[in-house]
Amino acid sequence: MDRVVAVTRMSRAVAARLDAWSGTVGHVHSVFERAINLQWPDGSLLALHGPGPLLAPFAAAVDDVEPLRWLRIGTPVTIGARRLVAEGLSIPWPRVEVVDCSVDTAGGRGGRSTRHLRHWRGRHSASLDSAPGVAGRARLAAAIRERDAARLIAGAVTLLGLGDGLTPSGDDCLVGALAVLHHVDREWLPRGGASAVGAIAGSALERTTTIGREFVLHALAGRFSEPVLAVLRAISPDEQRRAVACLVRLGATSGADTLCGMRLACRSLAA
Amino acid sequence: MAYATLIKRGAYHDSVTLLNLARALRGRPGVREVGVVMGTPANRDLLAQASLLTDEAATATANDLVVVVDADSAAIAGEAAASVQSRLAERVSRRDDRGGGRPRTIGAAIRRMPEANLALISVPGAFAAAEARRALHAGLHVMLFSDNVSLEDEVALKHLAIERGLLLMGPDCGTAYVGGVPLGFANVVPRGRVGIVAASGTGLQQVAALLAGRGHGISHAIGVGGRDMGATVGGAMALSSLDLLAADPTTDLVMVIGKPPAPAVAERVRSRLRAIGRPAVICLLGPAVTDGREGSIITVATLEDAAFAADAILMNRPWQPLAFSDPDARRRVSDARRQLTAAQSSVLGLYAGGTLAHESLLILDRLLGPVASNLTDRAALERRAGHRVLDMGADEFTVGRAHPMLDPTARVEAIREAARRTDLAVLLLDVVLGRGAAIDPAGDLAGAVRAARAEARGRGQGLAVVATVVGTAEDPQGLPAQVATLEAAGAWVLPSNAQAARAAACIAGGDVVIDSLLGGPGGRA
Repeated sequence: MDRVVAVTRMSRAVAARLDAWSGTVGHVHSVFERAINLQWPDGSLLALHGPGPLLAPFAAAVDDVEPLRWLRIGTPVTIGARRLVAEGLSIPWPRVEVVDCSVDTAGGRGGRSTRHLRHWRGRHSASLDSAPGVAGRARLAAAIRERDAARLIAGAVTLLGLGDGLTPSGDDCLVGALAVLHHVDREWLPRGGASAVGAIAGSALERTTTIGREFVLHALAGRFSEPVLAVLRAISPDEQRRAVACLVRLGATSGADTLCGMRLACRSLAA
Repeated sequence: MAYATLIKRGAYHDSVTLLNLARALRGRPGVREVGVVMGTPANRDLLAQASLLTDEAATATANDLVVVVDADSAAIAGEAAASVQSRLAERVSRRDDRGGGRPRTIGAAIRRMPEANLALISVPGAFAAAEARRALHAGLHVMLFSDNVSLEDEVALKHLAIERGLLLMGPDCGTAYVGGVPLGFANVVPRGRVGIVAASGTGLQQVAALLAGRGHGISHAIGVGGRDMGATVGGAMALSSLDLLAADPTTDLVMVIGKPPAPAVAERVRSRLRAIGRPAVICLLGPAVTDGREGSIITVATLEDAAFAADAILMNRPWQPLAFSDPDARRRVSDARRQLTAAQSSVLGLYAGGTLAHESLLILDRLLGPVASNLTDRAALERRAGHRVLDMGADEFTVGRAHPMLDPTARVEAIREAARRTDLAVLLLDVVLGRGAAIDPAGDLAGAVRAARAEARGRGQGLAVVATVVGTAEDPQGLPAQVATLEAAGAWVLPSNAQAARAAACIAGGDVVIDSLLGGPGGRA
């Protein structure tokens, strides 16, 4: 008898994908202590992790992650009728909460609510202080200040794939900056043209890991993890402190590197 | 300067793993520098800048893990690189063995410890039944510490356990001994020849401690939960446990402890005991219980009598229940009464142990008349002054705080409040020792006891404090030390809860009660 692990929450992007791809076969891409990634023929990922906030805009939370860790990399996974099926494991979503991981554009309010991020004093990864890390951040900051799409591409390309971690620090920094841009001034990016977004997405294909790339692609489309969204949406000082503390705790430096990017964007927009 | 490179193609390890790996490598003697990165173009540039981009590392792609070690010698570099292999392999193996990190599920725990045969489950009630079911399906006995499990679930779980030849102790089982291993809140007692089926945690503790005081030990003590011997569950686990004890060659005497069961269940239990044929002692605390004997089955009315009857059976000597084991009890009662004013006639029992509270309630009710209690009629507590017995472990006292066996706060507050009562003659307390209990429960109460007696003295009254300490000398808290602490605070400490309740009744009730207990040979309520 198949073991059953139920999906309890998923992002809207995941829900749409699962509806669209019924019958498709993907495979287990990677297995970690608390999460696994499934990959589909187009290269995109679906992360499955335990209960709690969605840790990626392409994630779904299950009620018990333990059985997923039995799966081997490469195991085929089929999208069936409201369930994923892998060897010996059924992953249905009978009553799932669908979470919108898109950033709300708050405009001026967004600028005010993220003001506190300008003063965030946490430490980011050392790789962001390397020569290319500093250069990439400088280019990104200048691009945001001057609304220069070309510099945005240059800054992003410098940062993509840079640094420690499975999601490199440079990717996390870029994602953080994009989060603030989408929240405060969504118009900014299209003003540079869809080509800027396309160029960055294309670079991500070559310059970073599959997992890092997935975060960046979603970020370019304005979709982020719930801990990132919580920082953007926090209103009161207490909420902001809690949300920042929660984000900082993610990964080894992933959360801190994301906040580094958020701070960079906040300061640059205010300049 | 020597380099070693390791490339793990398409290898994914989380950031914390990679960070720890890098730290571990840098900490090795002779290692100068280390690169542990994914092989992205940017990271290959970083490696180049750090003079770590070996020819092999240059071939890595974005989804490859690259480890480069710069060390004092080729041997050191090679060993460091080899250690990466083994560390990462160990992590995969631990994950494959389902053993990485602290187990978060029953399944993970079983894979970590395949030789385990019992699961102790203490999760919120809403999830407890599911976890217990998982454990039973995995072939484990279960001690279900959780409460708030539905009766329906309890019945289903116990039937599942019995089908599989397993124990389902509980729900709300806080104490057990299985194969000499104490579980939950348990006193340090020797292994021995007495097997106990208990629907009562502190009742089991009282009996086990008293048996230990007489040199007897426990073979197994199985907690079946307070509802097991009711009509719905029908004694399912009690009867199954009796069968297990019957088949156990180390059990010479069987004991059943609890409250009076449903009549049909009571008869099934007796019938099973008769069939077992070994000496048995039944102590089911209730208002109509009287001592008796039917063949090899002895029925007793108090926990103390259960222990002493068992002792007599095992030692093959006669036994008579006693009111007090202290021959000086009458004098001590008189001394206490001498300090009271005419207005003082009430007893207030503040209990950590629910069964101990219940036993005291029965004794006081019998000797003094109606006693208000949250165990029986909560409304009466509002209406009635006079004698009271409170189970401070009940829900209304433990909202937002730990059980009184762990947290003395509620009882200390209650003692302070009681000290203001001018009608109060006796404060009656239990102190429960053992693993899992507070570090110094007597010490926690001693200050409040001293203060209460001083407050009474200040207005020209006495206040008798009568207590029992349930425990053994081998308990972490140490029985003698705990008794001494309470005595130093002015309490009269008696060797059992039943004797403490009788002492309280004598002090509050006067000559009528004293004479009924001590008036003639064997005179005993």
